Amino acid sequence: MIRGLKISTPFPHGGKLVDRVVTNPVKGRKMAKHTDAVFDIKPTLYQGVPVRNVYREIMSTCYGFFSPVEGSMTKAEVDRILKERRLLSNWVFPYPLVFDVSDEDYKKLGVREGDSLLLRAKGKPFAILDIDEVWRIDNTEELATKTFGTVEGNPEVVREPFDEKMPGWVIYKSLNPVVLAGKYTIINEPKLLPPFDRFWYPPKKSREEYEKRGWRTVINHQTRNVPHVGHEMLMKNAAYTGDIEPCHGIQVNAIIGVKRPGDYPDEAIIEGHEAVNLGGYINPKRHLVTITLWDMRYGNPLESMLHGIIRQNMGCTHHMFGRDHAAVGKYYDMYATQILWGKGIPSFGFPAPITDVPYGLQIRPQNMAEFWYCPKCGEIAYSANCAHDKEKQKFSGSFIRGMVAEGVFPPGVIFRPEVYKVILKWWKKFNYPFCNPKYVKEKEKILEIDLPDMKI
Amino acid sequence: MAKTIVVLLDDKRLKALKGSGLEGKVASLFGGAIKALNLEVPEDKTKKILHAFDTARIDTRDCITDVPIAFNRVTFEEIAKAKSLGPEVVDAVLKRTDEIKVAAAKEKEYLPVPEL
Repeated sequence: MIRGLKISTPFPHGGKLVDRVVTNPVKGRKMAKHTDAVFDIKPTLYQGVPVRNVYREIMSTCYGFFSPVEGSMTKAEVDRILKERRLLSNWVFPYPLVFDVSDEDYKKLGVREGDSLLLRAKGKPFAILDIDEVWRIDNTEELATKTFGTVEGNPEVVREPFDEKMPGWVIYKSLNPVVLAGKYTIINEPKLLPPFDRFWYPPKKSREEYEKRGWRTVINHQTRNVPHVGHEMLMKNAAYTGDIEPCHGIQVNAIIGVKRPGDYPDEAIIEGHEAVNLGGYINPKRHLVTITLWDMRYGNPLESMLHGIIRQNMGCTHHMFGRDHAAVGKYYDMYATQILWGKGIPSFGFPAPITDVPYGLQIRPQNMAEFWYCPKCGEIAYSANCAHDKEKQKFSGSFIRGMVAEGVFPPGVIFRPEVYKVILKWWKKFNYPFCNPKYVKEKEKILEIDLPDMKI
Repeated sequence: MAKTIVVLLDDKRLKALKGSGLEGKVASLFGGAIKALNLEVPEDKTKKILHAFDTARIDTRDCITDVPIAFNRVTFEEIAKAKSLGPEVVDAVLKRTDEIKVAAAKEKEYLPVPEL
């Protein structure tokens, strides 16, 4: 929202923050008693390995990260998203979000429209799903492809057909065929486990925190990585935007959920970012590390739309986007996200940037190019400034991961020593520096929460 | 187009290269903070590497990355043995694919934590 030249906190997407968490245990228990069936939440599996857990979608929905979405989507809503990337209420939204069960589980449950389902996580009451509609996904592979686009249908940004190497495509392909659509309500307030608890700032709380800190403008940095110095430079330089002065706050919002093998563990990612401010490289007064629970789809422009929604709901005024944002492989154009925010993608329903369409977003993009190390400049240089093409040395995430895996102590120009120590801390804990199948399986048992006992 | 494998050199590896004639080919990265050898890999051999190791990929620098650590170790051993960065090194590494795969399977479960 613009008043004069100063920018103020944007409205939540859809106008109002969704808050579907019952904090009174007596009320929660009462609601749980009136349900028609009980279901234990299971992870979505692909070849026996967890690729998604719907509990994270329930958390992010009920705590308002995905406002105005309130639950599992009806068929009409999913169809509209796939066609125009809009909810039935017209607000833009990138992905179908559904509560899916197998035919066998559906038969066992014996529920129908109008019924209420008690959802348990880790064996304890967690949430309620009020079923408005039961519908079927006829072909999950078709749904997966429609979700992310095709080379022919979305020629502006899709470069290669999606396949089993694309985690988001695998998630949709692995869904169960029966969808129970309706609103979720968390009836047993979860406790975030350490170290996640201290980074838990759902939209209502993050907005309060910004106000407490006196932040009018806040730029968000999306992450799924332990920060190297190139990331730090991106954060610092992107934050020079703002209104009449640079952004007051730099928020890091880490996506916590199932990761690709080779990614860093979530614990190392968030504490690695925290080490940047504890080490004083970005003043902790200006830097806030937060999390969102979500199994990343790696949908580049579509994922950036979701990131914009989450961070606008959290109260951010700006969002930095780099090259290959939330991308894997070469499925999308490396600048697909910047195309969406810079000029729009008509084939996805956006003839103009998504900030310039009706029911679009208010958060402002800060589209950035690259940072690299230039020995001639003697600094981490911004690609639009540095003309030393022959001398430049790019920050390659995979090269740095290789260095870490080989046990080579990374120089300060790559990792701050405080950040590297965090990698080692979690390496010792998991016996491995990166996500491997053992870590992923274990994580899906523990999740990121504990639930209080609730007798029904 | 040929791709590159960047072989990192720590003190131990630098010592092993002494007298090999390769000292002059050691590249300095990130202001001299990292030493490495750049091994050129022809296109057909690149394909073989990508096929043999499912995590391997080409990064934004046109380098072959995300290979098993054992692959890097064997590559260095073959460079040191051949005292060369020629095409015979890649051939020798590819001949040891089975051995690398066995080591890589173990690496997926456990990697020793380096001492600071």
